[in-house]
Amino acid sequence: MTEEEAFEFVKHTLKDERITPYRKDEIEIVHSVEDCINCGLCINHCPVVAAIGVDRFTGPRSIAVELSRSPPEFWSTADKVYLCTGCGTCREVCPKNVNIPEVVNLVRARIFKHRPDLVPKGLHVVREIITKYNLAFEPWEDPEEKVESRDVRLERLGIPYIEDIIKTGAEVLFYPGCQAEELAQEVREAAKVVLSYFDVDFTLIDEMSCCGLPSELMGDDETSRKLSALLKGKVEALGIKKVVTTCAGCTSMLSKISQRDNWDIPIYHMVEYLVEEVGLVQISEALGSTSEFSDVTVTVHDPCHLIRHTSRRTMEDAIEILKAISGVKIVISEAEDSCCGGGGLVAYHSKDVANAVVQENLVAINKTGADRILAPCPLCTAQIEANLFRSGSSVEVDDLMVFIAKRLPKK
Amino acid sequence: MNTTPDVLVIGGGMAGIVAGTIAAENGLEALVMRTGQSATAYSSGAIDIIGYPPEGLALKEYFPEIELPFKTPIDGLRAILSLYPFHPYGIIGLKAEDNESIEYVIAHVSESISWLKERLAGSCAALVGDLDRNIFPITALGTTKPTCLLQETMWSDTLKAHPDNVLIFAGFSGHSEFDAQSAMRAYLESQLRTGEFPHKIGHCEVEISPFGKPYNISSIELARHFDHEGSVDHLTSALKAHVDKLGATHVAVPPVLGIEQASQNQAQIQKELGVEVFELISLPPSVPGFRLQRAMDRVFKKAGGTLLIGHQAKSATIKNDMVESVVAQSPRREVTISPKTIILAPGKFIGGGLEADETGIRETVFNLMPVTSSLYSAEDVRPANHTNVYSLSPDGHALFAAGLAVDMDFRPIDADGIEHARNLYCAGSILAKYNYSMEKSGLGVALNTGFAAGRNAVKMVREAS
Repeated sequence: MTEEEAFEFVKHTLKDERITPYRKDEIEIVHSVEDCINCGLCINHCPVVAAIGVDRFTGPRSIAVELSRSPPEFWSTADKVYLCTGCGTCREVCPKNVNIPEVVNLVRARIFKHRPDLVPKGLHVVREIITKYNLAFEPWEDPEEKVESRDVRLERLGIPYIEDIIKTGAEVLFYPGCQAEELAQEVREAAKVVLSYFDVDFTLIDEMSCCGLPSELMGDDETSRKLSALLKGKVEALGIKKVVTTCAGCTSMLSKISQRDNWDIPIYHMVEYLVEEVGLVQISEALGSTSEFSDVTVTVHDPCHLIRHTSRRTMEDAIEILKAISGVKIVISEAEDSCCGGGGLVAYHSKDVANAVVQENLVAINKTGADRILAPCPLCTAQIEANLFRSGSSVEVDDLMVFIAKRLPKK
Repeated sequence: MNTTPDVLVIGGGMAGIVAGTIAAENGLEALVMRTGQSATAYSSGAIDIIGYPPEGLALKEYFPEIELPFKTPIDGLRAILSLYPFHPYGIIGLKAEDNESIEYVIAHVSESISWLKERLAGSCAALVGDLDRNIFPITALGTTKPTCLLQETMWSDTLKAHPDNVLIFAGFSGHSEFDAQSAMRAYLESQLRTGEFPHKIGHCEVEISPFGKPYNISSIELARHFDHEGSVDHLTSALKAHVDKLGATHVAVPPVLGIEQASQNQAQIQKELGVEVFELISLPPSVPGFRLQRAMDRVFKKAGGTLLIGHQAKSATIKNDMVESVVAQSPRREVTISPKTIILAPGKFIGGGLEADETGIRETVFNLMPVTSSLYSAEDVRPANHTNVYSLSPDGHALFAAGLAVDMDFRPIDADGIEHARNLYCAGSILAKYNYSMEKSGLGVALNTGFAAGRNAVKMVREAS
């Protein structure tokens, strides 16, 4: 009996046995587990272990070597794997490149499929929103209120409003991501201001739809793939040449799906686009001599989805941009690259865990003495802002794009 | 995206960071690139210079008068240089006249040790020890091992000084990585055999619950816990009862006294209890290894170097005997680096500098020719043929001495003895002809070859400009 015949023979009972075979693009991830040498270095570096201990969260190693080898009883691991914030630290420190964050997604996908009752309740709420609206957040009931909220934010920040442009054949698609579309609207507007200032030929998307990362993180693989197919169709219809986003999660997810699903379109985070395509010369011409702002000391937070899921060079780009802005002094926080706890959808069901993870960042941020912390990701920004505020810190928080847009001379 | 540093170091363990720091301190633009952590981060944190010859105790068959382990690293270096000229320490000596090479190497090692101690002073991995003697710290298994430099929280100079000393091994409830009782038994047995002090040894277990539960606790949790202000008070009072009861003069704990605060915590416990407290050496991945890597990274950054983590060198272009560029990959991006010189310090099998399977051993970036411990090409050898039957064999495994052969400037050479590229140097455990696990020389060779390769790269950049 060949392998194919064997599969044909058993495939009808797979569902009863609660087994989902691995897809072709998952096989490499599964094989990477075979390289694990059980050293445990990942446990030493895992921010969730650091925040809540190995008794509550078993740590990356056991997810890779024990939990991943327990099909069909993946469900027995649900109380652990849903606590991973997906920061990617384990994969980065792993000497054998075991792809643990993706293993987490594989295990979650199987729990979600066969034992949805064990998926944290908070995630089902998100799932309902996503399947209903193709967005990770519930859209505003009243569109006028949305506009009002946007205008209030822009006025407070002193950022001008630019009309949305939607057209085919533009050079760049600016993809704001769900968070900037619905909640942090100032980030979406800031990016438009920056792109217009540098005369980038860009368009927005007609009807915003999610990149699929939240669905993937909760284990809803089917919806995730549906959303990425939907987005691919929209991107192709627009006939653009590049995609630029301001969201760290979207950057890594779009980079992943564009490769997996053969988009043939390069994906940039805005900081990469500014440094690589606009150029530091233009940026310093625009921002190097603005005198209307008082000097400010800033520190930065490195979003996991940029540094560990995309490339650490992205934050070097961010720092280069900040260096080009006059009156900005940069101090580096000891925990600049430590997960803020906002990832992996953990905050939706175990807020105490997410907020325990961010404590290390808060201590380090306060220690820098900076006036302001900047992050090129609306999710990190929100998580850090909420927790800094709660702790009574006077450090202010900005998305990096908002900080730049505020300081651009008005055209 | 391109970048053009003066020196690109591939690998950021001890060898790579030292080489990069030497370049940065000499005013060059140094870029150290590594995937995540290094084998240094796994290590016990002890910096061994040389404890045994590559064959281990087997050398005694030929030289019965030799004292093993070496009493001092200097004795060890003299033996190595006389018997194993192609050992990395021997390569350092090739720069000197024949009759001066031993003194040259000793001076080199001495200088690198002073350099390192100076850089790490006041850090979370501050060092004690010097070249005049090998010290024998106690491990978490109750055994001892020879080393040269140790983190200051891990050593007590007075333990063996007095016959009335009383040592307690203190463990933590629910911390499965250390068992105080079995460590005590093993240590006591060796003390009785050698007749050394102390002879009075006890053990105890204290309860520390970083997350409210006294079970399922890992070393890193304890270390992080003790970094929090005031958290060591509980340990002090818990230890006090046991110290008083046994009249202890010394307390040995697993290496978890803190990541940043270990030294302060040690001082505080010592002050309040009037005893000496020190950390044991533990199995990898240890907290002291974590501290060492962290402190080394800071040394490099302070010198002005750039550390690029999360990138793995994939391939390189060589033209006219010079490496032109190296392509490195991050999870979703690629970067091309065109440096003036390159130092290859990616480690061996754990670090990923060498890969081995049943068809042979390969160097992963430049496809250089690795050699066996006998300096034959290792490209087609079966690794299994270079290991012993027993995993913990007293003869070690020749496989660990496989690696790259180099010229006197630490440039890797091909089968004809010609360097692959004029601007390519290498350092650390990717070098052939030394067996760190047998010799107890791992971080010492990394330090010294990193030091030497770094200086050679600086010299080349200066001469070219």
